[in-house]
Amino acid sequence: MYFVADVKENECAKYNCKQCVLFCPEPNCLNFKSGTNSAWVWYDRCKGCEICVYVCSDLLKRHCIEMVMVTPKATAKS
Amino acid sequence: MGLEYVRISPGFEKYMPRDYVDLVKYGPFGKQLDVMQMGQFKELVEEHPMCAGCYMAYFIRVFYAALPNPEDTIVLGTAGCARLALSQAAVPFVYGNYGDTNAVASGLKRALSIRFPDKVKDVVVIAGDGGLIDIGFGMTMHSWFRREKFTTIMVDNEVYGNTGGQESGMSPKGLQLKMAPLGKKFDKINAVELAKTAGCVYVARISPTNPKRIAKTIRRAILAARHFGPTFIHAYTSCNIEYSIPTREVLADARKREKQDFKFYEWMTDEVKEFFEELERKEKQEVKK
Repeated sequence: MYFVADVKENECAKYNCKQCVLFCPEPNCLNFKSGTNSAWVWYDRCKGCEICVYVCSDLLKRHCIEMVMVTPKATAKS
Repeated sequence: MGLEYVRISPGFEKYMPRDYVDLVKYGPFGKQLDVMQMGQFKELVEEHPMCAGCYMAYFIRVFYAALPNPEDTIVLGTAGCARLALSQAAVPFVYGNYGDTNAVASGLKRALSIRFPDKVKDVVVIAGDGGLIDIGFGMTMHSWFRREKFTTIMVDNEVYGNTGGQESGMSPKGLQLKMAPLGKKFDKINAVELAKTAGCVYVARISPTNPKRIAKTIRRAILAARHFGPTFIHAYTSCNIEYSIPTREVLADARKREKQDFKFYEWMTDEVKEFFEELERKEKQEVKK
């Protein structure tokens, strides 16, 4: 089981901010999809540090990212 | 390295690792990408073994996104945390003995300018507070006295994080650490003033709270080093393990320290200032066209 960040894409698409993407310490872990106008997490790369949650919820009060438990099988599919 | 070495020979695309193909197709080689586009292109750094929530890793991520000419850059590092991520990037990396980064960089820069007189090759040293100001102090200072034309970046986590938490010359006064239980008795070394006195032409102190500003500072330090002389950046990159900062609070800590003792500071000589003013004027004219 891994603790990873998960973006609620419908919520995220309402804003055009990309701030979480710019503050993640892992390269290409939080990415931005211009098609849906939302951020998305590459689960295999996420170390679960919650800095994106701090940026989205504490700083910007947008609450679009939550931490979820995933199993290795689920991450392998993504 | 040069772009010719990056390209995949025709017909070999399907045999190359996925990450490499992505890097050639969607990476920053040969393009001028803005750091604000991070997360929308394949970055030069790959997955690395640094701790969750490490802001030194974040600084290195922004550093690689901000390089003005990644295909003609060589990065030097030394023992310490930073080398764990620095060595996982698609930019040549030289790993010296502890503390000799600036001596190796001096020789490398001189050799490159003889071997490639018609090309600009950037040499950048990134090492921690231990590598540059404690153990490598002599070599760091002498490279500045000799006015060697390369950039030195100190990623200052204020502790020997790799070896269990001994105090370094950059730890704040009075601080108790896991391997320094009596508390530090001396002041934090003022690296920025040392660099100014030793002859650096561009000196900056920064806390990683604003990616655009980090990128601008790194770009300026590298461009100034090409033409004028040594440049130095002192960056605060907290160690959330040794300082027991919950990972969620790491950015909050960087913001707090920025208000206290890591306020953004930038100093340059008059000729460097003129050079950047001229450069920005030209860039604005190009945008208008």
